[in-house]
Amino acid sequence: MDIQQYIELVFTDYTLRTITLGTAVLGAICGMLGSFAVLRKQSLLGDAISHAALPGIAIAFLIMGTKNSSIFLLGALISGLIGTFWIRGITSKTHLKSDTALGLILSLFFGFGMLLLTYIQKMPNANQAGLESYLFGQAATLIESDVWLMGIVTAISLVILLLFWKELKLLLFDADYTKTLGFNTKFLDILITTFIVIAIVLGLQTVGVVLMSAMLLAPAAAARQWTNNLSVMVILAAIFGAFSGVLGTAISASHNNLSTGPVIVLVAGVFVLVSFIFSPGRGLLFREIRFRKNRNDLQLHKTLSFMYNIAKTHEDIGHPHAIKILNNFQGFTRKSLQKLEDKDYVKISGNMWSMTASGYNTASNLYDQLITEEDE
Amino acid sequence: MNSAQIEIQLIASLVAIACAIPGTFLVLRKMALITDAISHSILPGIVIGFFITHDLSSPLLIILAAASGVITVILVEFIQKTGLVKEDTAIGLVFPALFSIGIILIAQNANDVHLDIDAVLLGELAFAPFDRLIWGGTDVGPKSLWIIGSILLITLGLLFAFFKELKVSTFDAGLASALGLSPIVMHYGLMTMSSITTVGAFDAVGAILVIALMIAPAATAYLLTNDLKKMLLLSVLFGVSSAIGGYWVAHALDASISGSMTTILGLIFLFVYLFAPNKGLFSVLYRQRQQRIEVSLLTFLLHLGNHQEEEERHVKHLNEHINWQKVQAKSVLDLALKNNMITIDHDIVSLTKKGKKFTKEAIDYIITNKNSEIENMKDRFFLFRG
Repeated sequence: MDIQQYIELVFTDYTLRTITLGTAVLGAICGMLGSFAVLRKQSLLGDAISHAALPGIAIAFLIMGTKNSSIFLLGALISGLIGTFWIRGITSKTHLKSDTALGLILSLFFGFGMLLLTYIQKMPNANQAGLESYLFGQAATLIESDVWLMGIVTAISLVILLLFWKELKLLLFDADYTKTLGFNTKFLDILITTFIVIAIVLGLQTVGVVLMSAMLLAPAAAARQWTNNLSVMVILAAIFGAFSGVLGTAISASHNNLSTGPVIVLVAGVFVLVSFIFSPGRGLLFREIRFRKNRNDLQLHKTLSFMYNIAKTHEDIGHPHAIKILNNFQGFTRKSLQKLEDKDYVKISGNMWSMTASGYNTASNLYDQLITEEDE
Repeated sequence: MNSAQIEIQLIASLVAIACAIPGTFLVLRKMALITDAISHSILPGIVIGFFITHDLSSPLLIILAAASGVITVILVEFIQKTGLVKEDTAIGLVFPALFSIGIILIAQNANDVHLDIDAVLLGELAFAPFDRLIWGGTDVGPKSLWIIGSILLITLGLLFAFFKELKVSTFDAGLASALGLSPIVMHYGLMTMSSITTVGAFDAVGAILVIALMIAPAATAYLLTNDLKKMLLLSVLFGVSSAIGGYWVAHALDASISGSMTTILGLIFLFVYLFAPNKGLFSVLYRQRQQRIEVSLLTFLLHLGNHQEEEERHVKHLNEHINWQKVQAKSVLDLALKNNMITIDHDIVSLTKKGKKFTKEAIDYIITNKNSEIENMKDRFFLFRG
């Protein structure tokens, strides 16, 4: 199946269209809200909450007795919020650290959820197919109403983000200052956390409990590498998220036996990897290039100043010296000497080198420049 | 109790002990979440190992899976060292990716692999007694009992051999390296042990619930004691009691054993979290209230010391000028009276000799601002606490 056929199919086939749209919207909202989670150092909250949502889903099933995804979502939301605020309680009131608190809530809630699930499976009206899909995610079970729900939630969270943009931004970077300005930080905190929990709960059905944390983190972590501006980062993260959704769906739809959730996560992972390596400001590649360039510059400077110290002792600066005397000096290589000649700082003839006037001037000003730059 | 029931409880208890020991150190080193990462990312290791050995409990599979756990740790540390993202983000990025690879590998080879994701993640202790180890023609017990038993023996051996070193490197990494103990060796040793334990435990309680067994007993014990040895013993105790209690709850409800073990752990943690002396929620809230009243008292006494005028020292003044509510004003006045710091004469409050001395020392404290001093001072002056 080539790309054109696939694109046609996306527009004509109901299931594929729903899934593509659903994963795209999900990726966008996760990227958007995930940016806040990453910057607030709550990266693993996603993992904890997606696990903590399980007992809520099971209890919702026990109470209602039917499979109904909006009731499930409500249950998941409530137990996710309880989990979040219990994590808060543990870290603020006891000396247990946040990693312990997250791990505790994650595993204890999930274990309790498993207990309920196995209990439900033994019940006569157990139709647990819908429940299982929350564990590993099943994008194929998405229907149009789910996509509508996601769309509406995305719209609401967008409006809230825009309304409270200034306050949220301030809270993100300087919580104490926000408090002194008289903003209700507790309210803002609860607001953004609630929306993060909502995004997580929405994604459970599609990518599943385990992979949800990557869905939240990966687009934001990738976007973070390209910019230092919050609004650009949020938009970029939403785009990365949506693209991983669409691409992941496409790849898994065109192969047999590829579940959508893991593929989406891997695509998002590729985005992260590419951003880590190739982003111009922070990326590893450019950082390495800059590092090497700086090191080479430093070596050149060292060689030049060594030559300057020799040339200084002679009346004629251009007095030739043997290249051999540079050998006991670490910064010297054939290449660096060549470079110095290219810059017209030295002249080489045979086995001898001699300093030019411009090289002498540069070398004598080398450290003066550094000092004045620092002064400014 | 038949022999299968005893065996299940024995296996569960051994798993709980084997998890509680490394768990204690992980919680103390603030690395609890690395267990979460390891328990998920051993999946590709298990899958690849299963392709090679076709046996879920072969030693090679355990080694491969443990290796993928250690690889996770290395990857997380590498990403963290680049400084591009924080540590928690690095953890959150690495393990879902590895887990996805594992799931895809399983799905791709679903036809010739009988490896259920549910079984790996959730485990089924109830079937453990049926997988017997046959040694020289005789049945020597369930396989998982032997696996987890040998892991526990290794863990215990390492714990006793390196207890001092572990203790030093956990609480003071700087001192440890100054004494010539390599923190890196300790760190990776602990990580390897945690990975092996996680893998050994996964087919008994499931990979995810290993996290509960590692973190919850240690965290609960940490709320009760600050002594490392006591903490280790307590967490082993909590682990074992949840294992046995969990088995019987599961028996009664006819539900998953690992699920009910975790639920029992959760209940124990909740109880300790609420009621632990000194560190529990209620005692923290009580202490905070006490301190609030004592600070108010101090403010009030300082105020009295600064003013000779009667209208400033009138009882009503508390309500009107300092803007305290009636209840708070009354509890502050009562506390001051009980401690003989003030006398009230016709609603006019005056400092006693003791009150003056306390106020003077309190001012000294505020000026020098030594934190330890105030509690000492309270002990000397207060007959009753707030």
